[in-house]
Amino acid sequence: MKRILLLRGAELLVLAFLGTIPLLVVNPYALGLLTLLAIYGILLIGLDVTVGYLGQVNLAHVAFLGLGAYAAGLAVTKFGLGMGPALLAAMAVGLVLGGLLALPALRLEGPQFALATLSFAALSTTALNELEHLTGGAQGLSLNRPPVWGHALTPPLFFWLCLALLGVVWLLMRNLLASQWGRAFEALRDSPIATDAMGVGTYRHKVAAFALGSSLGGLAGGLYAFNFQYLQPQSFTYDLMIILLLGVVLGGRKSLWGAFVGATVIVLLPNLLSNRLLFQVFSGLGFAGALAAGLRGLVKKTARPFQALAPGIAMGLLVVGGLFVENTEDWRKAIFALMLFSVVVGLPEGLMGFLSLFLAKLFRVPHAPLPEPSDIEAILPPRTADGSPLLVIEDLKRYFGGVKAVDGLSMTIKSGAIHGLIGPNGSGKSTVVNVISGLYTPSAGHILLRGVTLPSGSLYQVSKSGVARTFQNLQLFAELTALENVMVALKGVYRSPLPLVLLGLARKEESQAQADALCLLDLIGLKDQALTKAKDLTYGAQRFLEVARALARKPDLLILDEPAAGLAHPDAVQLIEIIKRVHQRGISILLIEHHMDVVSELCDTVTVLDGGKVIAEGTPDEVKRDPKVVEAYLGQPPQTDLPGEPSPQPA
Amino acid sequence: MNASIIGQMAVSGALMGLVYALIAYGFQLTFATSKSINFGQGELVMVSAFFSLTLLNLGVPYWAMIPGGLLFGAIMGLVVERAGVRLALEQKGEGWILLTIIIGLFFFSAAENIWGRDDRPFPTPISADPIHVLGVDITRLELSVAVGVLAIMGAIELFKRRTLLGKAFEAVSADRDAAELMGISATRTVMLSYGLSGAVAALAGILVSPITTVGPTMASALILKAFSVAVVAGLDSGFGVVLIGMFLGALESLASFYLGSGWREAPGLVLLILALAVRPTGVFGKTIIRKV
Repeated sequence: MKRILLLRGAELLVLAFLGTIPLLVVNPYALGLLTLLAIYGILLIGLDVTVGYLGQVNLAHVAFLGLGAYAAGLAVTKFGLGMGPALLAAMAVGLVLGGLLALPALRLEGPQFALATLSFAALSTTALNELEHLTGGAQGLSLNRPPVWGHALTPPLFFWLCLALLGVVWLLMRNLLASQWGRAFEALRDSPIATDAMGVGTYRHKVAAFALGSSLGGLAGGLYAFNFQYLQPQSFTYDLMIILLLGVVLGGRKSLWGAFVGATVIVLLPNLLSNRLLFQVFSGLGFAGALAAGLRGLVKKTARPFQALAPGIAMGLLVVGGLFVENTEDWRKAIFALMLFSVVVGLPEGLMGFLSLFLAKLFRVPHAPLPEPSDIEAILPPRTADGSPLLVIEDLKRYFGGVKAVDGLSMTIKSGAIHGLIGPNGSGKSTVVNVISGLYTPSAGHILLRGVTLPSGSLYQVSKSGVARTFQNLQLFAELTALENVMVALKGVYRSPLPLVLLGLARKEESQAQADALCLLDLIGLKDQALTKAKDLTYGAQRFLEVARALARKPDLLILDEPAAGLAHPDAVQLIEIIKRVHQRGISILLIEHHMDVVSELCDTVTVLDGGKVIAEGTPDEVKRDPKVVEAYLGQPPQTDLPGEPSPQPA
Repeated sequence: MNASIIGQMAVSGALMGLVYALIAYGFQLTFATSKSINFGQGELVMVSAFFSLTLLNLGVPYWAMIPGGLLFGAIMGLVVERAGVRLALEQKGEGWILLTIIIGLFFFSAAENIWGRDDRPFPTPISADPIHVLGVDITRLELSVAVGVLAIMGAIELFKRRTLLGKAFEAVSADRDAAELMGISATRTVMLSYGLSGAVAALAGILVSPITTVGPTMASALILKAFSVAVVAGLDSGFGVVLIGMFLGALESLASFYLGSGWREAPGLVLLILALAVRPTGVFGKTIIRKV
């Protein structure tokens, strides 16, 4: 309760404060700044979706601002629409064009994504400039703010409209980002492969996130048009984009407050630059702060020397430059560059990321209480294991160029079994797992789950069909807590459609999801660390968390890809315990493993691969004695058996 | 519309396209070793051109200015590597994109204030008189661009194949970890690639300046096209960038003729988005197998 009071209280307080300013102060200039603050707030919340949550450098946001502005402007001037429809048109333009750009661009990562968005931005500036009959080209487009319900919108009224819209956007985004959607956005930033493998469509969520962010850009553009009542293509260029990025990064990513703080900084920047004294005070403070943080980092050895000192050097340049340069306005871009540089290097979490830790401690904001764990019987109801064929693989082949990684594999996993798959390095085990789970498309052959062909070549589709897997090289969602890692994957809980989620009417299923996820964490013994970020867990705990996350898919078949790799002995023992517990729920398991003791203790049947082919199959004891297996592992044909001598055993 | 005008436009465009190819080649050099590119490469082209112009104005002869300009470009490349790329890669993540953009912005602002905002002519001893080849007019200046581009690309490719240092470069490109285990310093190799990339950018600036004039914004259009070329060709094919660069140059020259000069950037940008959609690794790039 205290938590809600503090968080919501702060939001309401700021909103009320901003809202009453026009009543107290009659100053057109200040009102203009406040209006711009509200507009940039919306804009940056939209940008934060891609930059913060998706973790991609998006250079197209300024284009959506411009396109939205022109859409609203044209809706009013050419089509005579009112303000409401014009703003909707601006949003729609952002949504549709954002979606269209996202379709190709989001298959890309990192630099290619940045390039694609940069190209889109340049292209849209070209289009706005050249489509003169529509946009007026470089001449610009003038428009009047249309009246609403017969009332002309005076500057204070327009400000309240912008503020109200910011409030609405804030509310909706808070609901969305706190839901499964927000988790999915973050999950696919940390590991797109695991997101797909956990039945959360990576591509769908990426496109949705990008289109959503862009539509907010469009909305902000519409308001921008009605605020300035004059538009020019040159307003929406790369320079502004850099400033917007400065806002998000400086304010703090993945945070609505961060976007707000960033917007405040952007709005106040021109004033900061034009006032000499103010500039010197702020750059001096920045220098002192950066230097202090850098020295602290050096002393505590948390940062490398250059990394610790770089922000200080940049801010130092700013201070020294401020003393010598005649006109700071001329050096505007260099000043942005130095500030942005210091923030990116010295304060990667942004002002809010830094402040929120501090404030949470100061006010002792407790974490929202967790519900009681659900009953395991309800989440993983015991299944009847009748020994019928569950997964049948027929003559599976997967070639990489000339390499025959899997070459005609056939095997059957019986329902309720723990089926081992072993083989020396390079024998094709991992490829088999990757083909079954849909990461690779098979070159030839069939895979049937309960007699039905398993979708091929799509992690997402396979996951939907009831096969879940873990990853040998951990693919956890590092920035999410253990609880959230499991919640992302949870199947069959999230049913509310998007509008209800936006309106915050999906809280019940959210706490249901928490309870279910807690139960699964309990199963692997991590309930007490539910709120620890996955990256901060011990290595063993991370391995167990992979299992819990896969279990959240409530799978028919669980594929464990070398779950004991690198585990210390006590952890390995615990792992065996966990696998046994999972098996008791009647879930069939395909276990790929190197540790023979683990395999011997758990598996009913073991298939041995070598060179992409099955060389032996049987109980663990049988295959251990199989001469072909021994040869595969020890690389030497056994000497001709002398009577009475036991055959050698693999190490 | 007669064929000779189209031919003329296509040839001039293709020769300009070689400059895009050269800048794109600079991206490839750094991408090979560090999987990063300098988003402020255009500013590197620009400041190097300004520096070279200053050398000329100080009375340094043209041919002596070229090594000076290249050296300056290389040093700037190293600055970007240390202050942008390495700093960000040490912290892990995509921060280098932002940092290189930021450093570019700083260069831009510095150039604006040091050398002014106006476009200035760049003197060259190479004449702009046309010579007539196969019904098409080509100026010696355009020809010098082609020769310069192909010469430096050829030299760097030879360096990579024939010298020990060059082989270290290739080794780090192929597998950074394995190269480090063999005693090759990946950090130094990345530095080398950024130095080379900076020198290449400087040469692009020196070659193109007599045609476009020198100004703070001279590279903002160039760089977009170089990005297009690099992405469309793929970030690992030196041969591809030359081909795609010439193709794109010809295409935009024709586009500006038929659609109006305001649209001259459009084909490259559309091509880039399309190429990314159809073949994210580029036309000549290698496909990557996802591993987990």
